[in-house]
Amino acid sequence: MSTIQSEQSPQAGIGVELTPELLRKRRGQLRIIFDRFIRNKVAVAGLAVLALITLAAIFAPVITHQTATFDPNTATDVYHIASGPIPGHPLGTDYVGRDEVARLLFGARVSLLVGLASMVASIFIGVSVGALAGYYGGWLDNLMMRVTDAFLAIPLYLILFVLAATFTTGSGSASVIGVIVLIAAFSWPATARIVRGEFLGLKEREFLLAARTLGANDFRLMLRHILPNAAGPVIVAATLLVGFNIITESTLSFFNFGVQPPESSWGTMLATSQDYFSEQPLLVLIPGVAILITVLSINLVGDGLRDALDPYMTER
Amino acid sequence: MRRYVIRRLIQAVVMLFVMSIGLFLLIHAMPGGPDAVLFSPRMTAATRANLRHQYGLDQPLIQQYLSWLKSVLTGNLGFSFASGQPVAAEIGARIPATLELFAVSLSFALVVAILLGVISAVRQYSLTDYSVTVLSYFGIAMPVFFFALIMQEIFGVKLGWLPTCCRTSADTTGFTAFENFQDAVIHLIMPAVVLSFLFIAGWSRYLRSSMLDVVKQDYIRTAKAKGLASRSVFFGHALRNALIPLLTQVAIDVGAVFGGAVITETIFAWPGLGKLFYNSLQARDYPVLLSMLLLGAASVIVFNLLADVLYAVIDPRIRYS
Repeated sequence: MSTIQSEQSPQAGIGVELTPELLRKRRGQLRIIFDRFIRNKVAVAGLAVLALITLAAIFAPVITHQTATFDPNTATDVYHIASGPIPGHPLGTDYVGRDEVARLLFGARVSLLVGLASMVASIFIGVSVGALAGYYGGWLDNLMMRVTDAFLAIPLYLILFVLAATFTTGSGSASVIGVIVLIAAFSWPATARIVRGEFLGLKEREFLLAARTLGANDFRLMLRHILPNAAGPVIVAATLLVGFNIITESTLSFFNFGVQPPESSWGTMLATSQDYFSEQPLLVLIPGVAILITVLSINLVGDGLRDALDPYMTER
Repeated sequence: MRRYVIRRLIQAVVMLFVMSIGLFLLIHAMPGGPDAVLFSPRMTAATRANLRHQYGLDQPLIQQYLSWLKSVLTGNLGFSFASGQPVAAEIGARIPATLELFAVSLSFALVVAILLGVISAVRQYSLTDYSVTVLSYFGIAMPVFFFALIMQEIFGVKLGWLPTCCRTSADTTGFTAFENFQDAVIHLIMPAVVLSFLFIAGWSRYLRSSMLDVVKQDYIRTAKAKGLASRSVFFGHALRNALIPLLTQVAIDVGAVFGGAVITETIFAWPGLGKLFYNSLQARDYPVLLSMLLLGAASVIVFNLLADVLYAVIDPRIRYS
């Protein structure tokens, strides 16, 4: 419980000084989690792969020598169509002669952006709903949980297909934002349930009574006292959600309901190259394997975090 | 128990009623509206007005909702824009294909998942256990459509063993009964395997961990202490109890029958509910989409309730109040 008390910083006027000893204990908790995670070699490998993919996406313009007049993502090499690996195009070119390395790296930007942004929005909604329902209980809880049930009951791909067919028809970046909003709008219920459960269990605990007695208001109690204690499951859910959302985005884009040209994600790459599978299998395999490896790494990291954050595995 | 079920059923009806309003408004709020695709630009204003009247689109929104609700309650679910047929007839015609696909693929998934789950629990941390784990991680991270594309390419295009589309051959005239059956089976194999893949990955992990939980229980120790052979401890005691949570999960997954196959059915042109949904979406056939969304939600809710009841029925330790 020492970490909880140290959350009550001196400026809040609660009177618990952040003594060096408390600070050390607080660091100690993170240290334990970090050590446990590091020992899980598979999860660390997943994290390393993920870091590599993220860096490649961020530095895509540098890696592919993008200049003001030359965009490797759209430039076509008309002498090499669906070429397969050749000098100058290490992964070959696609069906209109665009460099496959550039397509892959710039596609990573869109896929990762959609996965991350929709996760953030989804977690925000899920945590808000779950926290309010779990904290206040009563009719508010009942109402919010029925809404959550309703969202869970609607078959995900049916509603996403219907809405995406209408709302992501805009071109390029408008469609990317549309996909992010749609995925977030239908992926929050699971998080809301998890957070509600955590809040229900935590709100009756003594440290909360103590904080309330000291004058903390509801908002502060939820945000500073309960939420940090529910952080573990939320972090795990958030991690796994990124992978899930990347798959959802790629599926939408594969059926042309997702990211629209001129933007392209791994899903759109698959959609446009599926007819060339027999001719040049690489065009399908490259984006597909990219999705597979990325989501696999995310899931491994998520499971590693779950084990590392599990309080029942605590060791001192 | 009975009171619990009745309360849940009343809750479900209220929820579906509210959802029907929400879904109706959502569909009608969509740009273009339900009537935008009905009309060709060459129609005269009179024809247009006449058609709008025939489909009831000239009535106020509340009136349209009420007549749709009435059609849902009386069971014909309104009329399709595209075919003019009752939506219930359109859906009914597609149910056998989806049921066939779902039944075969879920049974296959259940058998394989139980086998894999038991083996990896019995031989925990063995090579088999690790292989099953790796496979299920890949299964969960692999987009269904990507897996389907690869299967089609290998077994359909390259090897030519299996057809890549449809439920039967285009021309089955002159087929004997046995040839028809053979034809149906070879068309079913690929979509069923693709659909079962995700279930196998999920369920085998689920069974493995619930097996490992059960094995730690006191009654397993008692059974061993009595001198029972480890085989009968595992299969007679542990597996039977470990299957309970898996079966409820299976019941929940069966509830996804309306939406669960849309990707697989579209890719393999399987003429089931998922393909109907996809086609209706392409044709902006809103009455069909609306009713399928509502039925899909109803099916999820009913099977969730069924899972809870099933749980209490096969596990006497569970009591609902």
